[in-house]
Amino acid sequence: MPRVKLFATLVEIANKREVVIEDAKTAREVLDKLKGLYGPSFEKELEHGMIFLVNGRDITHLQGLDTPVGKDDVISLFPPIGGG
Amino acid sequence: MAFEIKVLKVDLASSKTEVEVLGEDIVRNWIGGRGVAAYLMLRAKASKADPLGPENPLIFAAGPLSGTSAPTGGRYNVVTKSPTTGFIAFANSGGHFGAALKHAGWDVIYIEGKAEKPVYLLVQDDKVEIKDASHLWGKVVSETEATLRQEIGNDKAKIASIGPAGENLVKIAAIMNDGHRAAGRGGVGAVMGSKNLKAIAVIGSKGAPQPADREKFMQVVRDKVNILRNDPVAGGGLPKYGTAVLVNIINENGLYPHKNFQTGVYDKAPEQSGEALEAKYLVKNQPCFACPIGCGRVSKLPVMEKESEGPEYESIWTFGSNMGINDLASIVTANHLCDEYGLDTISTGSTLAAAMELYENGLIKDEEFEPGPPFRFGNTEVLHYYIDKIAKREGFGDKLAEGSYRLAESYGRPEFSMSVKKLELPAYDPRVAQGLGLHYATCNRGGDHVKGYMISPEILGYPKKMDPLDIGEEKVAMTKLIQEATALVDAAGLCIFSSFGLWGDDYRDLLNAFFGWDLPTEEYIKIGERIWNAERIFNLEAGLKAEDDILPSRLINDPMPEGPHKGQTSKVKEMLPVYYKLRGWNPDGTVPEDKKQQLGL
Repeated sequence: MPRVKLFATLVEIANKREVVIEDAKTAREVLDKLKGLYGPSFEKELEHGMIFLVNGRDITHLQGLDTPVGKDDVISLFPPIGGG
Repeated sequence: MAFEIKVLKVDLASSKTEVEVLGEDIVRNWIGGRGVAAYLMLRAKASKADPLGPENPLIFAAGPLSGTSAPTGGRYNVVTKSPTTGFIAFANSGGHFGAALKHAGWDVIYIEGKAEKPVYLLVQDDKVEIKDASHLWGKVVSETEATLRQEIGNDKAKIASIGPAGENLVKIAAIMNDGHRAAGRGGVGAVMGSKNLKAIAVIGSKGAPQPADREKFMQVVRDKVNILRNDPVAGGGLPKYGTAVLVNIINENGLYPHKNFQTGVYDKAPEQSGEALEAKYLVKNQPCFACPIGCGRVSKLPVMEKESEGPEYESIWTFGSNMGINDLASIVTANHLCDEYGLDTISTGSTLAAAMELYENGLIKDEEFEPGPPFRFGNTEVLHYYIDKIAKREGFGDKLAEGSYRLAESYGRPEFSMSVKKLELPAYDPRVAQGLGLHYATCNRGGDHVKGYMISPEILGYPKKMDPLDIGEEKVAMTKLIQEATALVDAAGLCIFSSFGLWGDDYRDLLNAFFGWDLPTEEYIKIGERIWNAERIFNLEAGLKAEDDILPSRLINDPMPEGPHKGQTSKVKEMLPVYYKLRGWNPDGTVPEDKKQQLGL
């Protein structure tokens, strides 16, 4: 049951900062369940990209959406952001 | 249509002014802004100058797109020899001052000499006056601007000035414009103070600079504005939360420096994030000239019935996590104080953080600063008490005013200064972003992030995602490319935040449309490379050695103690030889003759 921390606009859409996702084995499954939970506006927020971290590592540098997630993993999910 | 660079030369010693016009060959090689300023610094042989001596030029340089409708075309650069690093300083600021300079018909103001008593420069189109500023000396930035506007009788005058910090030759002093925008880094405010120059006020009535083909230029501008408006960052997260939207993502990646870079995670980071700032203190956005992004913040000052601007991500970090401080109200207030006194926030917070580590290691003794508050990490009183003391060089503030390196060195422990070339590092631990570490080590102005912002590819995914831990040649090449592209953006007079949406071909389109040229992107990047090499040559002439291209030992030798990237160290020593080779430099970091010839230097 990976724990998902939401940030920026995703918090406003989900109306919560953190959610536990049941029965997800990959990043893709986590994302699909989140989209199911929070609907089209959540999906739209991520349509131009996202930053999906599993334990602080971007899944782009792991196995992408196939990156396995386990019950003790912490996921941090951001819409595209920048600054500096 | 020939494009020229119009330079207003002001000799404060003789009170004489003259006009120099640089021809299209200079424009073609250097574009303007930071580029032409590097050319002028080399031409003046300023590498041997005493940074606080009359012989050091102080250059205010806008670019060809400053003051036009090109998106983010509100920037100008301050270039001089830095009293902090002893190398070249190039600080960049937004707001409206740069555009006003162009609207008055000037590209560059080139200050030489030292006035006998405090003066300010009043530029009203072609009319230039050097006026007494004795009554302004000692005033903070907001008072200086208000007094000057009243005296000039024009509330539209755009003003760049120094606060008490610059007057007192504080080595971390900034030049402020439009109240809260800072040409912050490298002690440029101290150079202005050393010349007894309190302010430059500009009133421009000539309108925007004219492009070669107005219709074509406006079409390209509309296209690029659309790209930025539709970009999820430039048109979304950045205007909504400001630059502080980075706090959480940098912390979640484990590179948000905490307690003078002792670690890279801070459990209280969400409480000082852009989201928290928006919820508690944001009044409205404050865009710079011609900016469709509008990341600037107008914030409510806690307790006081006043508004201020900021704080930016870097300022939140430096007064927050880096000092072990969680209290956002104190951070917002400290940021405001630095704007008023004219202090660079990154260097101010980092110098205080270094003092905290020196104190907690028993090196700074209580009797040295009493009755001031003790330098314990997390003590917010340090912020409110010492910022004032630094600006006025009072008591222990006199030692802090020298910056973190000279402070730590005076206790025999320079390694407690988290700086490169004596300039304090910004808000990312390079143990977790190897490309940024390489940029920190090699940036011509010292410990900088924004002139080679590798966080874009390594964390944020612009222009593409790269593994932050990778140290291969592709990473080194991207670092070099971003350094060169940024030099071009600074030369053009645009804001680097436009790169959250625009990239090489977009800048080519804007510049080609403005100048009526047909240059390929590679030629523009080569101009960026020329600027980078010119600055390097300046630094080498000023005494730079390869061993100056290095990070503080903590970041190379001490593994990250916790967080998602526990155990990581910076591999900058492995990347440097590859970087020198890709740059076409000698193994000792010098620029060979054939490289100089290739770039026309």
